[in-house]
Amino acid sequence: MKRAGGATGKFYPDDPLTREPETRDASNAQPKDIDLFWDLLHNLFARPGDPTMNVPAQNVNTIDEVPDSSWFTNRILGHSLSIEEAVRGPLTADGPAPGVWTIIRPKSSGISPGFTMRDVRGDVWFVSLDARGYREAGSGAILVANKIFWALGYWQGETHLIFIRPENLQIEKEAVIRVSSGKVRSMRWSDLEDVLRRSERSPNGSYRAIASKLLPGKVLGGFQYFGTRSDDPNDIVPHEHRRELRALKVFGAWTNLTDMKAGNTLDTVIEENGKRIVRHYLQDVGSTFGDGAVGPHDYDEGWEHLYDKTPMLKRLVTLGFYISPWQTANYEENRSIGRFEAKAFDPEMWKPRVPTSAFLHARADDKFWAARRVMAFSDEMIRAIVKTAQYSDPAAEKFLAETLIARRNKIGQTYLPAVNPLTDFELSDGTLRFVNAAVQAGVAAYPAGGYTAQFAAFDNMTNQTRPIGTAGTTEGERIQAPPGLPGEVGAFVKIQVAALQPQHASWSVPIDVYFKREAGRWKLVGLERK
Amino acid sequence: MRSYLRITTLLILAVMLQPGHYRDGIALAQETRAETIAQKQEEKSASPTPEEPTRGERIFLETKRRFIDTRDGFYPLLGSIYAGGGLALGGGYRRYYGDRTFWSAAGLWSIRNYKLAEANTISPGHANGRIDLAAQASWMDATEVGYYGLTTATSERDRANYRFQRTRASAGVKTRPASVFVLAGEVGYEEYQLKQGLGAQPSIEERYTAATAPGLGASPSYIHSTGAAGIDWRTSPGYARRGGLYEVRYHNYHDLDATHTFNRMEAEAVQHVPILRENWVISLRGLMNSTLSGSTPYFLLPSLGGGSNLRGYAAWRYRDRHSILFQGEFRWIPNRMGMDMVLFYDAGKVTSQRSALDLTSLKKDVGVEMRFHGPTVTPLRVGVAHGTEGWQVVFGGTAAF
Repeated sequence: MKRAGGATGKFYPDDPLTREPETRDASNAQPKDIDLFWDLLHNLFARPGDPTMNVPAQNVNTIDEVPDSSWFTNRILGHSLSIEEAVRGPLTADGPAPGVWTIIRPKSSGISPGFTMRDVRGDVWFVSLDARGYREAGSGAILVANKIFWALGYWQGETHLIFIRPENLQIEKEAVIRVSSGKVRSMRWSDLEDVLRRSERSPNGSYRAIASKLLPGKVLGGFQYFGTRSDDPNDIVPHEHRRELRALKVFGAWTNLTDMKAGNTLDTVIEENGKRIVRHYLQDVGSTFGDGAVGPHDYDEGWEHLYDKTPMLKRLVTLGFYISPWQTANYEENRSIGRFEAKAFDPEMWKPRVPTSAFLHARADDKFWAARRVMAFSDEMIRAIVKTAQYSDPAAEKFLAETLIARRNKIGQTYLPAVNPLTDFELSDGTLRFVNAAVQAGVAAYPAGGYTAQFAAFDNMTNQTRPIGTAGTTEGERIQAPPGLPGEVGAFVKIQVAALQPQHASWSVPIDVYFKREAGRWKLVGLERK
Repeated sequence: MRSYLRITTLLILAVMLQPGHYRDGIALAQETRAETIAQKQEEKSASPTPEEPTRGERIFLETKRRFIDTRDGFYPLLGSIYAGGGLALGGGYRRYYGDRTFWSAAGLWSIRNYKLAEANTISPGHANGRIDLAAQASWMDATEVGYYGLTTATSERDRANYRFQRTRASAGVKTRPASVFVLAGEVGYEEYQLKQGLGAQPSIEERYTAATAPGLGASPSYIHSTGAAGIDWRTSPGYARRGGLYEVRYHNYHDLDATHTFNRMEAEAVQHVPILRENWVISLRGLMNSTLSGSTPYFLLPSLGGGSNLRGYAAWRYRDRHSILFQGEFRWIPNRMGMDMVLFYDAGKVTSQRSALDLTSLKKDVGVEMRFHGPTVTPLRVGVAHGTEGWQVVFGGTAAF
């Protein structure tokens, strides 16, 4: 979106875009499986995607924000998301209708126990049960992460907490299963018993599980974190250059979402406003916090890729005496949460299982954008979201919420001060107002030297500027504009704003903000954070 | 003026109606940001390309389909036939006839001309995963197996070779009545044909007699019965960083002509001790083999030497009626998914009397191994070991213990 202007100059009349245009019909997009092992090996050893690093995100608008799209919807920070909205998350209706649930096929992916079923309304649900020995762990992680990632802006499926009683299940006559031999046969009750044997049974005989509603539209398969989908005409920004995918580096670090494989994403063709487009879901965000699919995360999850050359060689030659931080991190090891902690957590050192191209391209401005969203989750909102997991152990609920709060704060401390953190610019009544996101979040001190702003008239066609007044400084987060701002409709001003804080050199690099004069007001049309 | 307007109008219409310049309401000139993006999307849609795998991906998927995903059919084999036989290559054919039950037939040929032909059927996971059944028939030709005499007081220079061909058919069951308890039993027919040894060393009958190589010249046929009981709480027999195995095994070799019938007992204890979140693992093993009664022919005597016991010595280096082996390993884990490094120490001895199974006069070695493994298997071990007789290259296709 942030491209040089054409015949109309640097800024187009419709800048900044709030919605990414998706103009072409994508109904010809065809399903394609991305093989799990190929995806793993390709990302581990081939480093796919654009080899050029430090490329600015290419899907941001002219004010450095991500417009709504089939990838992302501005929710938290985009508007004031209420705790009630966050707690509801992507849910639009109730879960599976009560009555006999009919198993129509076994679980097709992942190693957690489960199956696919249809309720009496005819709705299809993907069911994932808690692994044996890890009561509430799998279901709790999904319930919480599903709402967090929805609030962050990603497309999420509807997930509901359900309790299964075997006597309420039946197997559809046509249901088939692929057994170890590779052959396909009719599904039997013993196949269900195998699933239940691997699942955690409650004292009352029921099984706690997650039911995820079948996503609407034609299923195409997962997306990759690099390149574009060749059969989707609207997919023109390489995925490694999409900010919301780069931002998952920060969101993943916060929630310890380590399993970033294509198999945990899903593209579907849906109809929207009379047009068929591809929608991109983060389908499975269950490998979060300290929980894997069938037990706690390995100790090194979140710290090292499955194959990580540098620490591997260091351990090799030192007989293992090169100690990595994960080896001494003080995990609480809660049975319902897994291995999760905040004390040793360092957002910059966090890694998913496999190198993710979009993460490798994430720049400081992308991480700043992401960190602001993480910091927008209040303590109360985090506690309310965690409560939806309905952990029977209050200590588990408290542990997860407090660890998320502590990790959130580290995200803020790491990424908000790392760039010039000024944001939320407004020009009205002859005054420039803004917010210092790092100071506001309490992760940095107010800049000792205050702020400085240089106003200039800006020619949108030639990019020429004409200073207005001299650079002014102020101690508050508002600066009086000098006399002589243009008043005609369609005029532009450019303001270079910096903060004077010796502790943060990056703050002295000015942000260029552009306002356009419209009827009776100044509209923010540009923001360039360098 | 009117003609000027008419000409201008016609020119504009002519431009607008040119193919590709005005579609779906998108203006020719991009007056808005949305239009510039729409034009790029239009350009992409003009040359639709289906999502297809790259060449590398196609090759990978085809290889995976043939050798991993396809359960029925031919498969390659790389491994070992019999200790001392060297690397063997071969292939097999497998066919499932139940959910988990299959039969397979395989053949292997080693660089030292050892040969193996085998057919088996395995049916795991009965009774909720508590019972595994197996049956097999095989023929093996080991052409130059080393024999150095009895006791540990032998020299490398004492080596002679023998050749044997073994035909075997057996069936067995392994049960786990409770989570870590293991009971196993197997019964089978084994026929041995002993022949002149091949290779650079003299054949066994040229150097040894029936007094120094018990059963020399015999080619017995056995009903071989085995029973085992133990506790196994390793994460997997093929690869483990924690847990242990404590097992006793009893063998009865019933010679059909009653000449070389014997009984033997094996006792084994393995313990893996993880340190600092499995950054290091100390693994300890003790193994005792003891002939309880009867006359054991030289080629079935307890032995030490080779890639999984006394690794600094040649395969079959020491033989006698009883043996004891101690192994200690210091493992460190450069990569948790696939590679371990190991420093090891082995010590053991063979004796003619059980009472002599003590800690004196042990043969010792030290060495280092690099292991490539999966979550439950160790398909490759390579390393070197040093004993009192020099260096040995260590190579294995299974876990050492």
